[in-house]
Amino acid sequence: GLPGIGAAPAHAESVSRITVSGNTRVEAETIVSYVTIKPGRPFTSIDIDDSIKALFATGLFSDVQISRAGGALQVRVVENPVIARVAFEGNDRHSDTVLGATVELQPRSVLTQAKVQSDTQRIQELYRRTGRYNAKVEPKVVDLGQNRVDLIFQIDEGPRTEVSRISFVGNKAFSDGRLQDVIATKESGILGWLKSSDNYDPDKLNADQEALKRFYYNHGYADFRIISAVADFDREQNAFFITITVEEGEQYVYGDINVETTLSEVNAKDLLSLARTHKGDVYSAKDVEKTLEDITVAVAEKGYAFVQVRPRGDRDYAGHKISITYFIDEGARAYIEKINVIGNTRTRDYVIRREFDLGEGDAYNQVLIEKAERRLKALGYFKNVRVYSEPGSSPDRVVVNVQVEDQTTGEISVGGGYSTTSGFIAELSISEKNFLGRGQQVRASVGRGFSTDSSSSDTQTYELSFTEPYLFDRRLSGGFDVYRRQYAAGSDVIHPYEEVLTGGAIRFGIPVMEDLTLGLRYSAYQQEISDVQDDITKINPKLIPTGDSFVSSVSYTLTYDTIDNKLFPRNGIYAQFGQEFAGVGGDVSFLRTSVKADYYKELMSDWSLVGHVGLKGGQITGIGDDLRFIDHFRLGGDTVRGFASEGFGPRDKATGYLLGGQYYVAATAETLFPMPVIPEEFGLYGSLFADAGTVWSADSGTVDSSGATLQGDDAKLRASVGVGLIWQSPFGLLRADFAYPVLKEDYDETQIFRFSGGTKF
Amino acid sequence: CGAPPINHGYVLAENALDQVPVGSSREQVMLVLGTPSTTSSVAGSTFYYISQTIDESPLWGREITDQRVLAVYFDDEGKVRQIANYGLKDGKVFDFIERKTRTSGAEVSLIGQMLGSVGRVSPF
Amino acid sequence: CSSDEPLEPFVEIPAEVSYNAGIAYLQQGDYKNATKKFEEVDTQHPYSEWARKSLILTAYTNYTRGNFTEAVTSAKRYVTLYPGSEDAAYAQFIIGQSYFAQIPDVTRDQDMTKKAMDAMSELVQRYPDSPYAGEGRKKLDVARDQLGGKEMEIGRYYLNRRQYIGAINRFRVVVTEYQTTRHVEEALERLTEAYYAMGVVDEAQTAAAVLGHNYPESRWYKDAYKLLQTQGLEPRENTSSWISKAFRAAIL
Repeated sequence: GLPGIGAAPAHAESVSRITVSGNTRVEAETIVSYVTIKPGRPFTSIDIDDSIKALFATGLFSDVQISRAGGALQVRVVENPVIARVAFEGNDRHSDTVLGATVELQPRSVLTQAKVQSDTQRIQELYRRTGRYNAKVEPKVVDLGQNRVDLIFQIDEGPRTEVSRISFVGNKAFSDGRLQDVIATKESGILGWLKSSDNYDPDKLNADQEALKRFYYNHGYADFRIISAVADFDREQNAFFITITVEEGEQYVYGDINVETTLSEVNAKDLLSLARTHKGDVYSAKDVEKTLEDITVAVAEKGYAFVQVRPRGDRDYAGHKISITYFIDEGARAYIEKINVIGNTRTRDYVIRREFDLGEGDAYNQVLIEKAERRLKALGYFKNVRVYSEPGSSPDRVVVNVQVEDQTTGEISVGGGYSTTSGFIAELSISEKNFLGRGQQVRASVGRGFSTDSSSSDTQTYELSFTEPYLFDRRLSGGFDVYRRQYAAGSDVIHPYEEVLTGGAIRFGIPVMEDLTLGLRYSAYQQEISDVQDDITKINPKLIPTGDSFVSSVSYTLTYDTIDNKLFPRNGIYAQFGQEFAGVGGDVSFLRTSVKADYYKELMSDWSLVGHVGLKGGQITGIGDDLRFIDHFRLGGDTVRGFASEGFGPRDKATGYLLGGQYYVAATAETLFPMPVIPEEFGLYGSLFADAGTVWSADSGTVDSSGATLQGDDAKLRASVGVGLIWQSPFGLLRADFAYPVLKEDYDETQIFRFSGGTKF
Repeated sequence: CGAPPINHGYVLAENALDQVPVGSSREQVMLVLGTPSTTSSVAGSTFYYISQTIDESPLWGREITDQRVLAVYFDDEGKVRQIANYGLKDGKVFDFIERKTRTSGAEVSLIGQMLGSVGRVSPF
Repeated sequence: CSSDEPLEPFVEIPAEVSYNAGIAYLQQGDYKNATKKFEEVDTQHPYSEWARKSLILTAYTNYTRGNFTEAVTSAKRYVTLYPGSEDAAYAQFIIGQSYFAQIPDVTRDQDMTKKAMDAMSELVQRYPDSPYAGEGRKKLDVARDQLGGKEMEIGRYYLNRRQYIGAINRFRVVVTEYQTTRHVEEALERLTEAYYAMGVVDEAQTAAAVLGHNYPESRWYKDAYKLLQTQGLEPRENTSSWISKAFRAAIL
């Protein structure tokens, strides 16, 4: 046949030998090993294609030609150059090592045009992700001869791209500022250089849209829709203008709520009581979700493992009502064949598996799987959690995959702060939320307080605490604390003696119901009182007895907590009732009862106004002997602002030392609002508040035995009104309060200005 | 206090057993009762359908309050020979062996974990 | 940390000089500099036989210094570039070893174990008679043992929670698919415990009988035997049970 130039004839033929040319670095023998054609054996054009593909696949060659010349098969290759060095010029924001790790091409690897392009893209993407959209990247290849090159990326980073304005269009119910709190992308503003949250990141903007949807769905706006979220980049100003156009629709309240079921033994009426969606309340997606979960658990408990609860909402557009019918029927009878935990490079398998109430072999129930997913996300150990199911080995079997990505949960933080009660405070703490991947929490901290004036005392604190959330493999948290706290002698009125507490506690937390936990605790500590101020001992040496005492007590607390955000509460209730009995051994015995309740409610949501009312009280009596003065209740600035830290209560007339009382009650009412004039992204909030409280009834036995001269044990109410300034600064929460006591006794210690704040960096 | 008891494992539908009398085929059993929780032989000569109700209380721990094992025995031709029912009373209560066979692999080192977080300054 | 100054001029060092310097560092145990030297040869003289030797030695030094990612990259390049050379088996072995050294304990994702197994089985398959194939087979068994260990860990998790379906099916996987690992003895004993706890005594007896039959000296068999003794039951092998069938089918 004709000597085929490239296009070999279709019918099979064979060659006697294979010649390789053009290769300088790669051995001929290696090239031949990738060619599927062997001398003496028939081959077709398909073999040629396969060989070419194989050789290209190695990435070593920029061009491969295979043709037949006479009896020989000619393989001509052009090798890709080898990179001697990869260098970056003009990069400031990212170091060479960071860029080196981003690009794929490394020294001594083979340079291909495709890889150079993809690496250029990668560097561009890195800069875009960290807020520099104007960055330009130019790859330059320097030929060193003998098919070796240097690869240099010339980078012009350009100024930082800022998000200069985030504006919302169409929002009537919530202010721009309130919505900005909901989303993660922040405006730069003058503090831009500090924050990294103001980098524009498309993924973050998508997540923001989800956050906005959930926020509106949870505040009654069932028809809420995001029409567009546009980020237009202004090249001159090198900044992004983000405009999110929304259509809020109407705020819905619940209409009729009812339950329908096809399951015979399920009584729809008594399930109705489980529904958290009550007629007349504002619609909230979260309530509907919780209701689905509660009904599913209740019905599953009756033996309907495959129960499926689906809500159907019928909107009454005119009356802005949504009536919801919960349909309960039986889903497909499928069982969980296997639960695979994937991606856990640090968290241990059982820490993830135990969040599932269902096990392998149990009936598959989507709502209970979603409940487990929510629990896993709430742990805070993972960057992301994804639970997805796949068909199992037989039609009625499902495999559940739990894909997690671990995140660092340890934190070393240095805290500093100033408070008028204990002066400057510095604290170094190491904490780990997921200790050794076992889900345990460990925290160790060292603290130091420096008194600035006579009114505050030096403090030294050392603390270590450990918690196991699943003691004995049950939903029972247990832990211990060990601490040593030392307070030096302050001025004559405030804590006029040195006190050293060394001790520890063992504690358990038992979940009673949703949001309600019972805490049990045994605590024991050695209390050393010494070096009482001499202007007290001069007048009445028996007033503050010195010496060591061992206090050993058991206590329980019932805590109900639905606060939405611990740092800056807007909605929710925190209520706690507890009793502590000291006298389980030890030298001191008393019974202390305390109660505390705080209620936060977002008032006019478009103004993002938050109302807070709080009440607390306590009663303590010595058991078997008189109650020591140091165990009495004292009230001061942190309860009723406007007064010094141990500002008021029954007092010893002669020395002015505050004896304290066996009863106290205090209340506060406060409204928080964003500072009107200043743009909200500053994080400046104002607060108008009124506090009141009183403490009374010093233990008469102790008064007689210590020869104190009682004064002001008349339960007179102290009250104050004031204004506060709160700054959610990039350094942490800072708060300053100016309170003017309106009701006080002339011998009370007042303190108009209080400042407290601290930062973790 | 704590969560209500949870049903685990196989859920037997009413009068399902009447449709798999002695002599019915393996396919019939698979059709009516579904895939067994586990089987007892490579050729599947006994099907086990296991159901449990386990109550977990934070104070008193986990307790099986109800357990039923439905064992469907097949003869050599693959026909149902006998169906046995093991209840909670047949179960034995004893402690499992604590010891476990050693495995290899690098443990999470405390230092590694802590150092991992040194670089991580708590973000504002 | 920006590198504004232009790249320093390219200094040509003859291949053997860098190579021998590398070997010298190697002998002194200074792997850090040895790696630098070998990389120098590979960068400056990518054509020479020296480059091939340096590449395999770079993989070796990186592996011994514990930079497993670099070791795998250089070893993989070696296997692609010189599949036929006599060191290719060693390069493949280094890839397997590097993954092997990063295997986490059984309570965590065993992705590294699977990677180690794939690399070692490729070694055993492509270079069956190389000096490293034997070690490769041994490491395959250890990796398989590790995967078996993970199944056992999850089995014990369900056993301790008395969720017997999850437990039995996990131990079953060990008995049928990880028969050659050390875990099979414990798996059989755990099956005895699980079936016995449910009151399905004949299955318990069979599991114990198979354990005794194949591992008469095993401590696990003594435990299983003692357990059945508590009710005067002898371990009796029900030959139709899947456990004995799984064993007769296997080489044991």
